[in-house]
Amino acid sequence: MVTAAYHSSPLERHKRTSFYVFIAPWLFGFIFLQVVPIAWGFVISLSNRTAFPVAVKFVGLKNYLEVFRDPEVLTSYWVSFVYTVSNTLIAVFTGFILALLMDRNLPGRGFFRTILYFPYMIPLVAVGWIFRLFLERDTGFLNTVLVRLRVLETGIPWMQQFPMGSILMLSFWQAGWSMIIFLGALSTVPTELYESATIDGAGYGKRVRHIMLPLISPFIFFQFVMSFIYAMQAFLQPYILNPRPIRGNWVMRNPPPSETFFVMARGYYIITAQNRFAYGLAMLWILFAFILVFTILFVKFGGFWVYTEAEERR
Amino acid sequence: MAMAMRRKERLSAWLRFLVLALLVLIVFLPLVSMLMTSLKRMDELYKIPARVFPESMVWENYALAWTMVNFGKYLINSIILTLLYGVPAVMSSCFAGYAFSRFQVRESRALFLLVLSTLMIPAMVTIMPFYMTMSKIGFVNQRILWLFWGISGIPFIIFLFRQFFSTIPTSFEESARMDGAGRFQIFFTIMFPLVQTGVIVASIFAFQWSWSEFLMPVLFFSDEKSTLAVKIALGYSDVKETVLYNIGMAGILYYTLPLVIVFFALQKRFVAGLLAGGLKG
Repeated sequence: MVTAAYHSSPLERHKRTSFYVFIAPWLFGFIFLQVVPIAWGFVISLSNRTAFPVAVKFVGLKNYLEVFRDPEVLTSYWVSFVYTVSNTLIAVFTGFILALLMDRNLPGRGFFRTILYFPYMIPLVAVGWIFRLFLERDTGFLNTVLVRLRVLETGIPWMQQFPMGSILMLSFWQAGWSMIIFLGALSTVPTELYESATIDGAGYGKRVRHIMLPLISPFIFFQFVMSFIYAMQAFLQPYILNPRPIRGNWVMRNPPPSETFFVMARGYYIITAQNRFAYGLAMLWILFAFILVFTILFVKFGGFWVYTEAEERR
Repeated sequence: MAMAMRRKERLSAWLRFLVLALLVLIVFLPLVSMLMTSLKRMDELYKIPARVFPESMVWENYALAWTMVNFGKYLINSIILTLLYGVPAVMSSCFAGYAFSRFQVRESRALFLLVLSTLMIPAMVTIMPFYMTMSKIGFVNQRILWLFWGISGIPFIIFLFRQFFSTIPTSFEESARMDGAGRFQIFFTIMFPLVQTGVIVASIFAFQWSWSEFLMPVLFFSDEKSTLAVKIALGYSDVKETVLYNIGMAGILYYTLPLVIVFFALQKRFVAGLLAGGLKG
């Protein structure tokens, strides 16, 4: 009877009302802008609907089966996955190194923090064009500088030769976000731990390995998960850094080459350029399912190296 | 020994300083390329061997970048949509964060996990079907849609606000409640002013996201109501369809400037807020 009393207590009722009053706007958005469209999209993906809905009929899982037989789409999943893994590693590693360099007393610490975070503030649309210009073979700044410094003899057509590499340069350039997370992480490590370890004769490498890394491992884990989810959704980069020449003012006229035709870009192309609504939605649904399953598996089994204080507290 | 250690530490600090300075230089190369190109003549862009600095400063590019695409109109469109999205997004996220930190009922944990799990939904999975339904009932090209998006909040910001509210002791509200203050009165007069830093961080994020959003405006709006992000993504070109990089870079500078100004004006509190409130926990 304890639970019943607990339930009907006026305090609890007041709490629950308050909770729902304050959460109502989010709940509204969640239901109407997420649950309903996703469900509707799922229903559509079970039909043969195109941009011109004539003779629409239920086809079951046909579209889903077709996705797995479509080599082009499968390639898109694969290149997206490769990009995601590389992007995640680059962002996490670069951000960690930057934070490590900036840890502890350093002249101009605030300046570096601001300046190195800054590229992350620039919208992707702008970054794409800045890099398209920067990587140009004959006139691009990168080649000009590298040739001037005698690192290269002649310019490299970066976008044509390394389409994936040129998109990954953006991950390196915009690592400021991950840097900030790691700076936050490092500030949670108590300095006394370092001091006592130093007195015991532990070198810098040892202190990083045995004190810092275990203590910030939850942040590393968080970074991996978030970066994975975001990178799987990369969409605009392959269009703007398309190795094919861009003419006129419609960047999306030419589809990107298969090496960088990411899932989201492919989905957009299938839905808007080919007008295959049902098929495109089926493809995006599989992406959603993939992210969901992968994240759950990662959280469940990938977290074994994350250090928690829970056991120690007891 | 202490002397030697301090000396070693100072040496390491300067070494790290040098490495970071070099990195800053590298990071700035693309930006220098952007600035220099924006001041070049068109024929200079394709001259080989390429030169770093423009022969003479062509400030005209900046005038052309403004007039060629009717920049002012898209700027106003972008500002309207940013406000229409940003204000409700920050408020609604603040509300939700408050609810999750203060009114923990039995189902709140599950609902909070639901908030976090929405981060995993690819934007296109919801936007595409939403766009199709809306176009079916003829409700596209409506700015009010951005308001709805705002109201639905931002999962990451909800998380952030929850952390901020959790650092405030509950005694603040309890005494107010004793005095008979209602829940909205408590929220607006006591709690909301205490999470100012959170509001700054959230506003910068909301501004950044709506300013750079490309997919939604390109799907939902006709050219008349379109935003700067869309215009800039499509690029500047002449009648022969040649991409005009010099004018384009000037346009990109205009487009990025508001974000840069806001960021540098508020960066101290922004970074401090991110480090202090949000990321621990």
